Amino acid sequence: MTIRAVKTAVSIGRNGVGGSFILQCQKMDFHYCDWFGSSKGMNGFIKSLLPKFAAAHPQIEITVSPRPNKHPVIIGHYINGKQKAICTRNMEPLQILKKVELLRDASGEKNRRITKPVQSINPSVRGVWSPYHGEGITV
Amino acid sequence: MKRLRLDRWTGQLLVARPPTSTPLRYARPGAVCARLAPRRQQSTAIATQLSTSSDGFDYDRFPPLEPLPPTATSLPSPTPDRALKSARLAALHARLSLPEKLPLQTLARTLVDSSADENPQFNNSNLAFVGQTLINYHVAEWLMVRYPRLPMAILWAAMAAYSGPAPLFQIAQSWGVKSAAAPGGEVDPGLLQFSLEGLNPSDRKFGYSRLEVERKHKFRHSISSGVIFDDDYGQLIFDGKTGVEQKEPTADENGGDQTPSHMSYGDEKTRLLAEQAHAKFVRALVGSIYAHCGRDTVRAFIKSHVMSRTLDISTLFQFKSPTRELAMLCEREDFEPPIARLLSETGRHSRTPVFVVGIFSGKDKLGEAAGPSLDAARWKAAMNALKAWYLYSPGEHVRVPSDMLVSDARPWEPAHIDIGEVISF
Repeated sequence: MTIRAVKTAVSIGRNGVGGSFILQCQKMDFHYCDWFGSSKGMNGFIKSLLPKFAAAHPQIEITVSPRPNKHPVIIGHYINGKQKAICTRNMEPLQILKKVELLRDASGEKNRRITKPVQSINPSVRGVWSPYHGEGITV
Repeated sequence: MKRLRLDRWTGQLLVARPPTSTPLRYARPGAVCARLAPRRQQSTAIATQLSTSSDGFDYDRFPPLEPLPPTATSLPSPTPDRALKSARLAALHARLSLPEKLPLQTLARTLVDSSADENPQFNNSNLAFVGQTLINYHVAEWLMVRYPRLPMAILWAAMAAYSGPAPLFQIAQSWGVKSAAAPGGEVDPGLLQFSLEGLNPSDRKFGYSRLEVERKHKFRHSISSGVIFDDDYGQLIFDGKTGVEQKEPTADENGGDQTPSHMSYGDEKTRLLAEQAHAKFVRALVGSIYAHCGRDTVRAFIKSHVMSRTLDISTLFQFKSPTRELAMLCEREDFEPPIARLLSETGRHSRTPVFVVGIFSGKDKLGEAAGPSLDAARWKAAMNALKAWYLYSPGEHVRVPSDMLVSDARPWEPAHIDIGEVISF
C-alpha cells in the first residue's frame, strides 16, 4: 500500500458558484420610538414599506421592536456571525429603504478596499513561469 | 453605538417574565406567558388577538411573546404545530429555496437530534439515515465516473471531503443554522437541538463492527475488508459496547455533575458532538426532501449544495515509494520501463541547486518535476507521473448511472472504470 490519503481535507464551499446562492443577511431588527421625532420616518417605513420588503424577502427574518427614547436603528445579522447596525434618525422612508437594501446586499464582512476585480481559488490557466524551461536566455 | 441588550428589555417592556417576578398587571387570565423560560428570545410571529385591557396596558402595542402550551417545558422537543409560528424556521426554509411540498413541521423535525429527543417519531435519526445513503450514493457514483482510476484510499478520502461530517458541518453553518444552548420543548423550533451529554447509545453508525477490534491488539486492516466492513469513508465502525472510539464524555471530564452542560462548549468532545449533530441535520434534510419531493429534487439539492463544492483531489495523495509503483504500473500496462533523465540543472555546487528531471517511457514523457537534489526531483517526477495516471478524467460533465432514472434518458453507454491502484498491498 504505497498510496495513503490525506484524511483532513475538506471541500471548499463557494456560495453561488456552480450551486445555490445563500443570501448572507439572515435577520434584520428594526427599532423605533413613538415619542422621538427622529423616528418619524422609521415609523412611516414600518407602516408602508416594510410589509412589502418582508414579503419580497422571505429568507430574512424580520423583527420589529420599540426602543423608547432612542434614535431608530436597523441591525442586520449575517451568516458569518457578524452584525451591522445603521442609525436612521431623521431619515425619510425611502432613504431608509436604501439603507435596508444596503444591509440586505452586504456579505457581513468588514468593509475593505478591493483592488482586483476578480477573486478566485482556481489555479492559473497559464501556469507559473519557469526559468528552467523554454529557449532560455544566452548571456 | 451601545450594544442593544434585547434579552434585557424584552423583560422590561414585554410580558415575558419568570412567574415569580411577574407583576400583577401582566398576569392576566389567558396569558400563558408566565410559563416562558427566561432564555427565550423575542419573536415577531405573534398571532394572538389582544387589545387594551382594563389595567391600561396596551397589549396591542406590546404583545406578549408567543404563548406556549403549558406542557411545553416538560417535552423533550418542541411540538410540531409550533413550527408554523417560528420566524427563524420559515426564514431557513426560504433561504434554502426548499420546495413548498416540504412542510415546516418536517423541517423542524430534521433539527431535533436523537440526543435531544429519544423518540424516533420526533427526532431526525431515520431521515438522516435515508439522507446519508442518498448523499453518499450520489457523491460516490460521481467521483467514480469522473475519476475512474482513483485508488480506493483516495476515493474514501475524497468521499469524506465531500460528504463526511466535517464538510456537512460547514454546509449547515453556511446555511445559517444556529444551535440551542440546551434542548427542550420550549426552544424555538428553528434552532438545532442536540444534547452535549453524550451520544445516544441507540444511535450508532451503520455497518459492521469488527470482532477483531475487541479480540486482537493488532490486525490487518486491508482495503478489501474495509470495503465490506467499514463505513462509507473507510473508517472503522465501533460498536457502542466496545467504546473504543465513541467514548462518551463522562461527568468527571466535564468537571463534575454540577456543571451545566452548556458550560463545556468549546471542548474537543463537544465540538465533535456539535459537528455530528450539524452533519446529521444536513443528512436528515436531504432525507426529508427525498421523502416529500422525490428523487429528482433531492438529486438537484445534493448537486447544488454538496457536489458544487471544490476539492483539489491531487492534494490528497501521499506516496511511499513512487518510483517502484511507477515501474510496476509501466509493467502492468505494457509500457517501456520508466527512465529518469536530467532535463536541465543550475547551480549544482551552490547552496540552492535546482534539477529538472523528466521520467520517460520510451519516447513518451510521463512526468517532470524540479527539485533541490537529483533524488528529490526524480521522486517528485514519479509522483507527478502517477498523479497524471490516477487523476485521468473523461471530462467534467460525464454521465452517471442515476442519469438513467429520468424517463426520457438517452441509452446508457458503459462508463470506463479502471482496476484502481497499482500496488494494493
